[in-house]
Amino acid sequence: MSDVVLTKVVKAYGATAVIHGVDLHIKSGEFCVFVGPSGCGKSTLLRMIAGLEGITDGEIRIGDKVVNDLPPRERDIAMVFQDYALYPHKTVFENMAFGLRLRKRPENEIQQRVKEAAAILRIEHLLDRKPGQLSGGQRQRVAMGRAIVRNPKAFLFDEPLSNLDALLRSEMRVEINKLHKRLKNTVIYVTHDQVEAMTLADKIVVLSAGHIIQVGPPDEIYNRPAHKFVAGFTGSPPMNFLDCTIADGGGAIELAGGVKLAVPEARRATCAAQAGKKLTFGIRPENVLANPAPAADVAAVAAQVQLTEPLGAETLGLLRVGDGELTGRFSPEAGLRAGAPLAAGFEMRKFHLFDPESGAAIRGAGW
Amino acid sequence: MGASVTATTGAKRYKLSKLEKSERLLGIALLTPAALLLLAVVVYPIVELLINSLYSYRLTRPGYRFIGLENYAYALFEDDRFWHATLNTVIFAVVTVPGALVVGLGLALLANQPFKVKWPVRLGLLLPWALPLVFAGLIFRWFFEYRSGIVNAAFEFVGLPPQNWITDPNLAFFAVCVAIVWKSSSFMALILLAGLQTIPKSLYEAAEVDGASKFQQFVEITLPMLKPAIVVALIFRTITAIQTFDIPYAMTNGGPGNATETMAMYIHKTTIDFLDLGYGSALAAIMFVVSAIATSVYLRHTRRDTGRN
Repeated sequence: MSDVVLTKVVKAYGATAVIHGVDLHIKSGEFCVFVGPSGCGKSTLLRMIAGLEGITDGEIRIGDKVVNDLPPRERDIAMVFQDYALYPHKTVFENMAFGLRLRKRPENEIQQRVKEAAAILRIEHLLDRKPGQLSGGQRQRVAMGRAIVRNPKAFLFDEPLSNLDALLRSEMRVEINKLHKRLKNTVIYVTHDQVEAMTLADKIVVLSAGHIIQVGPPDEIYNRPAHKFVAGFTGSPPMNFLDCTIADGGGAIELAGGVKLAVPEARRATCAAQAGKKLTFGIRPENVLANPAPAADVAAVAAQVQLTEPLGAETLGLLRVGDGELTGRFSPEAGLRAGAPLAAGFEMRKFHLFDPESGAAIRGAGW
Repeated sequence: MGASVTATTGAKRYKLSKLEKSERLLGIALLTPAALLLLAVVVYPIVELLINSLYSYRLTRPGYRFIGLENYAYALFEDDRFWHATLNTVIFAVVTVPGALVVGLGLALLANQPFKVKWPVRLGLLLPWALPLVFAGLIFRWFFEYRSGIVNAAFEFVGLPPQNWITDPNLAFFAVCVAIVWKSSSFMALILLAGLQTIPKSLYEAAEVDGASKFQQFVEITLPMLKPAIVVALIFRTITAIQTFDIPYAMTNGGPGNATETMAMYIHKTTIDFLDLGYGSALAAIMFVVSAIATSVYLRHTRRDTGRN
């Protein structure tokens, strides 16, 4: 078993705390992604698990061992760095074999394990080359190869794809996914790219300013964000936010500018409890419809198209509704034209409400 | 523009456009002053020296007589003092170049530590390098003085008898080596420090995760990554070691006897003290050849190395 368990982990530099008491349980074999904007502490947290940074308080456990005071080499982890950190003077083979050599494994075992890893990553033909002779994608594979030959308790990835171009990045994303399905090791992966997080993770940990904001599987993070920050960080384009109040005793949501949206029966009780408060209404771009057929849970709104962004398979439209602006994701057939009015609709089974002060989601049972 | 028009067939030579031609002219014009200056201060003296080396040319005797390679023949086959000075120079190089490398590497590693206040370390590193060579020689002469020197004072303090550092041939040689290593290791350290600072921190982190101890990191990461800097430092240091002059001149003036006399000192004595310009020139030409050989050996080595990488 190689669960990774963090208990009340704190990191402070002098009087400035950057990680504020993080509790997290990553199960054996799980693919866990730390995601958040720059400076949220995700890399620091990963480096603390690796042992490259000390921890100020709390406990980190890998498998059944508390590793707080163990140096990285005694934690039985492998790490893939953002800049790959390949040894430029060693061949690809020696780069991959280095960890095994230091552990004094027999030569035939080293040969066998490096060749196996090279075969998995399809880099057998590169084994005699030096890192300087490789492309970015190849270096990335070597860095992963160096990690997998050791068969460690956990793999740590620190923004491994951020130095690759967009096409290669999506290719490597698939590779990493396949690799994890095959090896089934515990993976902790840091990224600021929510697409990587959504596509790779079994479990996403959203961090902001040294706090964990939400932990959950990707669909929960996307569909049931616990906080406005999470809702605004996931999805591309992210969720729309508009100021609103609850009207008609929970029967309607009134947006700034007097636009009223009928609330479906199932959500009325929760809304009624918030009557009179200023709230933030959230709706994802794909839940904004163009020219919808009349339906019970679709609220019709009159919108003005301000801008269109055709992306080929879909068209993004910046709409003005009441006093607010929001982005919708439409089929190209919807025929959006900048400057023209649009009969839009909101899927009211999918809206979100947030407390504008705390940012916390307001959610009834079954939302 | 003109270039792309004429480049219709692969074999055709590209013609320079008007703009490119005028740029080339400007380039030549800008380089000319520097080239002329080099010609005047480097090429002319060397040619003059080579010519003088073929003549009997002593200021103590009248006449300027062409004698072919006689000066060279005398130096190589008859002059024991020349060979002794050459041997001394080689020993100085063999002892002080690795000595300065080891001390310099230690200093560079020390200066590369994440000290909170960096300037005292950097200053300590730079000071020996900034000090004039003759000063360093005089300081060490005083250190190794029989009566008032700090070294003998230290010897007496721990109960050892004082030594004749400057007047005993072997001890004098040793004392000069110590002074040269002290003076030259800071330059080594500067070059190696620059090299150390180019090694990415993530390599050490990767090695740490891979399981390397601090010593293994030094052997497996630092040394190989530092190799180009080490080679450059060795080249510079070897060339200056072959030219060793100031420190033994100030400390021992080549003495006792000729025990610490180097090639450069012998050339200096021949030309300035004995006023034998012809023979001095021949000796200088020989020293130039030795320097050139040492340099080319290192350059060859570096070229082979970069080729391999």
